[in-house]
Amino acid sequence: MARKPKAEGAASRLWKASPLTFVTLIAAAIVSFFPFYWMVVIASRTNDAIGSVPPPLTPGGNLFDNIGRVLDNENAAFVTGLTNSLIISTVVTVAVVFFSSLAGFAFAKLRFRGQNAMLLIILATMMVPVQLGLIPLYQMMVKFGWQNQLQAVIVPSLVSAWGVFMMRQYVSQTVPDELIEASRVDGASTWRIYWSIVMPALRPAAAVLGLFIFMQTWNDFLWPLTVLQDPANPTVQISLRSLNQAYYTDYSQVFAGTALATVPLAIVFILFGRQIISGIMEGAVKA
Amino acid sequence: MSVTTRRRFAAVALASVAVLAVTTACGDDGDEGSSGNEQIKLTVDIFGEQGFGYDELIKKYEADHPNIKIEQRGKGMGLGDYNTRLTQWMASGAGAGDIVALEEGTIVQFKAQKQNFVNLGDYGAASLESNFLPWKWNDGKAGDQILGLGTDVGSMAICYRKDLFEKAGLPTDRAAVAQQWPTWDAFIETGKKFQAKSGKVKFVDAATNTYNSILMQTAGNGTGYTYYDKSDKFVLSSNPDVKTAWDLTVKAIEAKLSAGLQTFSDPWATGFKQDQFAIVTCPAWMTGVIKGNAGDAAAAKWDIAKAPGNGGNWGGSFLSVPKQSKHPKEAAELAKFLTTPEAQLEAFKALGNLPSSPKALEDPTLLASKNDYFSNAPTGEIFGAGAKDFKPVYLGPKNQAVRDAVENALRSIEQGQRTPAQAWEDALKAGEAASK
Amino acid sequence: MTPNTADRTRRGRPAHSHAQPPPPRKARGTFGTRLDMKTSPYLYVAPFFVIFLIFQLYPLVYTFWVSLHNQPLGGEGEFVGADNFTALMKDEQFWNSVYNTLGIFVVSTVPQLLIGLYLANALNRKLRGRGFFRMTMAVPIITSTAAVAIIFGQIYNRDFGIANWVLGWFGVENIDWRATKWASWIAISTMVDWRWTGYNTLIYLASMQSIPKDLYESAALDGASARRQFWQITVPMLRPTIIFTVIISTIGGLQLFAEPLMFSSGSGNYTGGTLRQYQTVTMYLFENMFTRFNLGYAATVAWALFLLIVIVAFINYLLTRRIGSAK
Repeated sequence: MARKPKAEGAASRLWKASPLTFVTLIAAAIVSFFPFYWMVVIASRTNDAIGSVPPPLTPGGNLFDNIGRVLDNENAAFVTGLTNSLIISTVVTVAVVFFSSLAGFAFAKLRFRGQNAMLLIILATMMVPVQLGLIPLYQMMVKFGWQNQLQAVIVPSLVSAWGVFMMRQYVSQTVPDELIEASRVDGASTWRIYWSIVMPALRPAAAVLGLFIFMQTWNDFLWPLTVLQDPANPTVQISLRSLNQAYYTDYSQVFAGTALATVPLAIVFILFGRQIISGIMEGAVKA
Repeated sequence: MSVTTRRRFAAVALASVAVLAVTTACGDDGDEGSSGNEQIKLTVDIFGEQGFGYDELIKKYEADHPNIKIEQRGKGMGLGDYNTRLTQWMASGAGAGDIVALEEGTIVQFKAQKQNFVNLGDYGAASLESNFLPWKWNDGKAGDQILGLGTDVGSMAICYRKDLFEKAGLPTDRAAVAQQWPTWDAFIETGKKFQAKSGKVKFVDAATNTYNSILMQTAGNGTGYTYYDKSDKFVLSSNPDVKTAWDLTVKAIEAKLSAGLQTFSDPWATGFKQDQFAIVTCPAWMTGVIKGNAGDAAAAKWDIAKAPGNGGNWGGSFLSVPKQSKHPKEAAELAKFLTTPEAQLEAFKALGNLPSSPKALEDPTLLASKNDYFSNAPTGEIFGAGAKDFKPVYLGPKNQAVRDAVENALRSIEQGQRTPAQAWEDALKAGEAASK
Repeated sequence: MTPNTADRTRRGRPAHSHAQPPPPRKARGTFGTRLDMKTSPYLYVAPFFVIFLIFQLYPLVYTFWVSLHNQPLGGEGEFVGADNFTALMKDEQFWNSVYNTLGIFVVSTVPQLLIGLYLANALNRKLRGRGFFRMTMAVPIITSTAAVAIIFGQIYNRDFGIANWVLGWFGVENIDWRATKWASWIAISTMVDWRWTGYNTLIYLASMQSIPKDLYESAALDGASARRQFWQITVPMLRPTIIFTVIISTIGGLQLFAEPLMFSSGSGNYTGGTLRQYQTVTMYLFENMFTRFNLGYAATVAWALFLLIVIVAFINYLLTRRIGSAK
């Protein structure tokens, strides 16, 4: 592509962050990190730390001891919980991202009968509070014989109205109609257009969606609690909840478990996050 | 849960076929009982940190009944989560175990749907009445139906901080402390003495705890019911016992005796470590809560004294058999076995759950038991006496919802948001709404 | 990115959300192409609708059916028609929860989206440690809700909390954060914002990255300041995404549940404070279901909430549609 030297100078000046912005970002980073850090502090201390005034601000030496107690806690079945949650969250995330981008593309760039009505239905679904669906949904699972099975948690979550809507907005903003038309003229099939034009353009948004769906599925509690009745076959959130005593909370153990349950999330974030962090920007700023 | 339904569904959900193939491998088909066969599996749903202390009893029962396998679910689960699950199982007609544990607050709610539970009287439970404290037996009944058999009781005593009492110039010996408060009025007077010298430390943790203890006792000696009379008529505004308990509690609040913390909240838990209060009204199970929250640092500082008035109760559970069970007969037999005086004593030995059987409460091992965290207080004796002195109180179907409304009103006085008169109006109004 | 990105972006400004898709070309192609054009869209939305119909729509229809009954939990319902709905219209506790929900929604969402936009714009620049700062935005998302609740519970502790400790420097007396409407709304809003601002930042950032840089280059040549570029290029170009976040925040905000519920840890917490200072509509729904065991009425609350969200989302949509196009 041809470059205009003059423009480059003016643009790059504007693209630099001011010192004020920098300070704001540092403040935002501290605010974001503090509760996370504090979780590690409590996880590495004894249960007495939580009520101390002033609160302890440095990690103690009990982290591995507390993690050991989490793993040894028979009621919690923590390792099974982690494994189950990994399976559930992975399958759900892949499915939601795929189905959402496919449907989002169809709604944004294809034309078909009933399109607007369908989109409206999708929008409306998001607006209905899900909690009340629990009982009919549970009865359905009983009919299918899916109680205690992971698919009872997976299948209802395979699609997300929210994901379709997000992808639809993003595709309509990012992929120009002309590009699609041009491909059509060149004889590309709809699938090819989706696969080689839309998908690549969607990567940053797909990363955000995937990240978010993974977190959401990972943190889901009420539905798994209802349908996975066997305490030996929990999700990680149910395991975490079982670390609580009946009437009082052993915070050091709960936070050690929480920290442990956050490790997979951190890994997933780093994987997905690369798309967001190093995504288009690298090329764009240089251009 | 037939195979055909599942297959038909899988055919419809084209997109998820691959997923199903992956996931059907994980997990098994739960408790589809093969009724009629000789091999029977019974599921017992319980809750709480350690469950109900039934491990040994179940082993014994399985040994005596080779055709029965028993599975316990719910160890480590808190009461709130357990009740949410149970509510959904009962509402959808599937999922509950063959035996479910119902806490005293829960059984009251489920009495309104007694048709969903087996009448244990049909399986010979009627003759067991003498195995239980009279009020406990009554609480397990919904009309003529025997809905639940009692397991443990909470009883009621006062847990107090010896060191803080000493600083305030009050006696610290548990007998002498109990003598300070023969009545709740005297209790409040003692509180005022305490408050005069204690500075920032408050006498009690929360006015609501005091209120509930007073109410249950007053109602036991008085009308025998609280927010609903025995025909389930809503009587919040007309029951004198409620007003008596309310007025006494307001007196305590106005004397600034309460730290105004919400029980079982995080600030409440912090309050134990920060010496914010000297007293917690404690049923037997509360001793573990105090120990957990206050930590080892406070070990020798706590003690237990008899509560004002005569006896009381907070907590304790029942075992019931839902109609959903495919083996109601076998389940009822097991429930009977798990609630015998001998079994209750076993559970006490395992976990310290206070029996609801008068015979078990007389047992020498129980009477001799002491709690070293609470300065070696004779817990078996103190709590046993509290449970035996307690007189039955009838609780209506939406007792919990109404109680929340009244407690909220009391706390709004503690927060300084409402005058006692305004709060009483609030309580009547919100209680009325909750009772519907 | 793929090499064709730069190419693609040069072709012109992306379409806006309300722009119609291109008219299908006259079918000049083979039978296969025509079939592709006709059936592909349906195939692409089919997985969504199949699962949606079975697992999401059916429970909702069922809920509506339940709302027409006087249905106790676990018992037989009695058909009462619209009685529940008329009772709801006169229900003070319901309207109180609507008021709280809208109040907390406004207090939390407006700063959340504005800060998100500001942070995304900052992160879209040349900056030392940019990767690190972008990472930090997601930290609140991966922290579990339970941990957040406990931590903020401590921060807003009446007697020992950090919030009151800091306010104490300015001579403010200890605030009982759970006692008054305003204090509790602010406390809950900070909790919500802490958790969701970073998420909106990332969504905005992902969209900002797709804005063609030539637009900025030519604006820079014309001498437009960074601020002007932000309001005249970035914001209008982000319009579909902003509409998305506003609608999502509306839906999430009006269904607010976990944060206010956990804010009052302890017993009886569905009421959201002693005087229902911060009881949201969803909490009221749960109160009816799990404390009062009135399934029919709970279903009615759910449907009323649905209508409320539709109305608010529509108003917000109309407002946000004016972004950019008015300028």
